Amino acid sequence: MEKIKSNLIEAIKGTYPDAREQDHEGNRLDFYVKKQCVPSILNYIKGEGYIHLSHIAFVDWIEEGEFELIYIVWSPKDKIKIFIRARVDRENPLMPNIESIWRQANTYQREAREMYGIQFEGFEAPNEFVLEDWNEIPPMRRDFDTQAYAEETFFHRPGREDAMDVREAIIERSREEIPDFAKKYSR
Amino acid sequence: MINDKNSQKIVDILQNWARKHSLFVLAYGTGCGAIEIPPTMTSRYDAERFGIRGAATPRQADVLLITGYLTTKTLKRVIRVYEQMQDPKYVIGFGSCTINGGMYYDSYNTIKVLDKYLPVDVYINGCMPRPESVISGIVKLQSLIAEGKANGAAKYKENLDWYRANQKKIIPNWVMPEYNW
Repeated sequence: MEKIKSNLIEAIKGTYPDAREQDHEGNRLDFYVKKQCVPSILNYIKGEGYIHLSHIAFVDWIEEGEFELIYIVWSPKDKIKIFIRARVDRENPLMPNIESIWRQANTYQREAREMYGIQFEGFEAPNEFVLEDWNEIPPMRRDFDTQAYAEETFFHRPGREDAMDVREAIIERSREEIPDFAKKYSR
Repeated sequence: MINDKNSQKIVDILQNWARKHSLFVLAYGTGCGAIEIPPTMTSRYDAERFGIRGAATPRQADVLLITGYLTTKTLKRVIRVYEQMQDPKYVIGFGSCTINGGMYYDSYNTIKVLDKYLPVDVYINGCMPRPESVISGIVKLQSLIAEGKANGAAKYKENLDWYRANQKKIIPNWVMPEYNW
């Protein structure tokens, strides 16, 4: 497996010098690439036997002003998953369309368009995917305040105001300190 | 003779007694709670001994079970289903999501309080309610029917404008047929 991985890294870095790899233990391999290279890299690894597009994941890096798209590709022959990670500007998110490589990318790209507002070059599909009559900013973006939206749109039954924070109750019971990273999620 | 108040009362009692023992539940699941319905209906819990059966279409059903969270997109379909059902009809809110939103209290696309949109006769709480509590909820509905208190459908007809205003508030693009009962 290590040999297959190093061959792949060599081949991809030979063609795309600015691609950066990150080798994980086990059967996983990450590549950080530029967004223009995504279709040609996917085309290349598809020819190498990575024929299954498992998923396209989306991350909203709001602090850095970027979206990250992660193309997860699996080879049934080598039993290795490759993560192709590409970043795109948050203000004008335009990504290359990979529908011609894998037809199932259509579904993921429609999801990205509706939930994050990421556009794809020359991508033709019906506008609505899961949501209906949606007029706000895409709801999975981190600057969309879902609680404020729910409070003004829907009726709420009173009685949840005095709900206790689970963490505080646990601290009282076990006398443990709350870790720093968890503090900002406390009520 | 039948206009006489006392004889009407006797007819009502007979009618309610008959309705109570033949509840057809529409096989329509909106959320994760629908997974509790097959064990309720099959041999382990066997809801049929209380006279509860599944019905295939809304026009043949008496009871609409809202099983779990209800998104705004599904609400549109549920309203259509409810309005197609013929009298007598009853609604059971199933799980904490229909009562106060449950774990989806801050979600952007699920409703939190079901009785603002549809008249609910019985709520079953829990996340998820087990088949035992489903059966106890339906038995509760039966006792309400026998007492003549399960009049959600009449309430819906009376306050149709109020319900419509609430429904249209979250379904801006209202393209629905008007059902004439």
